[in-house]
Amino acid sequence: MAPVVLAEGVERRYGDTVAVDGVSLSIEQGEVYGLVGPNGAGKTTLLRALTGTTDAEGQVSLFGADPRAIDRNRLGLLPQEFSPPGRLTAREIVAYYRGLYDAGRAPADVLADVGLEGAADTWYERLSGGQKRRVCVAIAIVNEPELLVLDEPTTGIDPAGRRALWALIDRLAAAGTTIVLTTHYMAEAERLCDRVGLLAEGRLAAEDSPAALVSAHGGEPSLAIETADPAAVDALATAGYQVSDQREVVVEGLAARDVGEVAATLDRAAVDYGELVWRQPDLETVYLEITGRRLVRTPADGLGTEDGEPRRAARGGRSR
Amino acid sequence: MSRPGRIRAEAEAALRAFARRRTAVFFTFGFPVIIILIFGALVRTQPTGGGLFAEPAAFYVPGYLGVVVLFTPLSRVGSEVARHRDGARFEKLATTPLTRAEWLVAQMLVNVAIIGLAAILILGLVVGVSGAQLALVPLSGLVVLYILAGVALFCGVGAVLGSLAASQDGVIAASNGVALPLLFLSEAFLTAEMLPPWVPLWLSPMTYFARGVRLLTYQRAAVDPLGLGPLGNLLVLAGLALVVAAVAARALPRTD
Repeated sequence: MAPVVLAEGVERRYGDTVAVDGVSLSIEQGEVYGLVGPNGAGKTTLLRALTGTTDAEGQVSLFGADPRAIDRNRLGLLPQEFSPPGRLTAREIVAYYRGLYDAGRAPADVLADVGLEGAADTWYERLSGGQKRRVCVAIAIVNEPELLVLDEPTTGIDPAGRRALWALIDRLAAAGTTIVLTTHYMAEAERLCDRVGLLAEGRLAAEDSPAALVSAHGGEPSLAIETADPAAVDALATAGYQVSDQREVVVEGLAARDVGEVAATLDRAAVDYGELVWRQPDLETVYLEITGRRLVRTPADGLGTEDGEPRRAARGGRSR
Repeated sequence: MSRPGRIRAEAEAALRAFARRRTAVFFTFGFPVIIILIFGALVRTQPTGGGLFAEPAAFYVPGYLGVVVLFTPLSRVGSEVARHRDGARFEKLATTPLTRAEWLVAQMLVNVAIIGLAAILILGLVVGVSGAQLALVPLSGLVVLYILAGVALFCGVGAVLGSLAASQDGVIAASNGVALPLLFLSEAFLTAEMLPPWVPLWLSPMTYFARGVRLLTYQRAAVDPLGLGPLGNLLVLAGLALVVAAVAARALPRTD
């Protein structure tokens, strides 16, 4: 079967700036494909090239045809900066877009899918940011598209709403919808996508399933120890752990079950320490490894998760 | 959904969104009222005769109608294009079956409805406030077609301006910059004798609008130097509307 999305050597320049630089990819029917990268990596421009809403060099085909020549009933798009009319209700907006297609679902059903039954008769401009984004997702799926293209669908949505949308995307994928999405959230990409493409400076730096990428490039799990006590490194090294001590003390290649033993080692050596932070390699690690750049910067410049918080395994040791 | 169904969905949404913007509604209908109150009731002619507004009140009916036919579609459609662009709505619409021409037709229908209501208001006010005596003829119903053609034409011009201007306030500035010379360098409010002979009145579509509507509503001394008659002036206006609409449909944004 021919791929639903096929791109070969796609390039898009804005003056001297190269937004997308020779990207080639192929997405099969029923696949969930994620484009991952920081702001300015070229995700949105690439999506626009794929949907024919920007003029790009190279070859793009959807369902084997030029994106601008396909039956548009087969495509659903959520643009990144999309903002429908503010003084229509959620129900009216979804009904309006439903009216542009040959067929589709009842607006009430679609709004229920995105968890907005209770806000269906509220003007769009009076909805919260997360509710607005959910209306936009409802618009993108109202025509029951075979190919659904979502540019940062969960931006601004609270964690509970995000998980509800993940479940919706799961259901659509299970029903055979091909989905292409962009995201900043690593957990989202790992959770939803069959394959991800890591974009850096307009180039596709790597492409595979999240698990394969993490396995190939993520390295071993590690445990970071918040301490300024020089005795920590000696105590851990003496106990046989592989320890690095550059900006912070990190125990490399540790199994999760051994975290307690590390804490015990520190306690036995009377090391003064704060938090123990468990670091499981993920797409962030992979991105950093492959491109030398971080995807998400947290206030503490730590690893970003879907909630923008570093993962913390334990708080222990001596009080300081 | 069929083509009429898509146009209907777009037009209904646009009309509903407009009706809920109270400020826009107020000034859309308040603008012609202000114009008529100022020029029809407050401005006085020179005691010796001549000057502005020295003609009988009915002479200015094409001008009053022309104000809404010209200004309202220009600014409304231009602003709507800017709003669509700012909200990535054209990017979305480019992936739906709605074509740019259908989108423009829907906007024209909305403006026809709004300006149709405004025209009724204007005619009532002109007769009631300024005491204009309309001289109706069997073909006077063609005024409706003049309004249709004028609205279509200036919706197209508004769409082009909206596509070229980078922002909503840029659209408004451009609309005013285009509309004022089109209105006042035509025969909408002035007679040809009041302008220098080198001013090319024939360039302004408002000249054909004014001549045609005047022939249909003001029999005394109606001017038609080209001898086009009510139908001929209407055909010129409709032809211009078709050409500009075709250009506008091509100019509307489809990509980033």
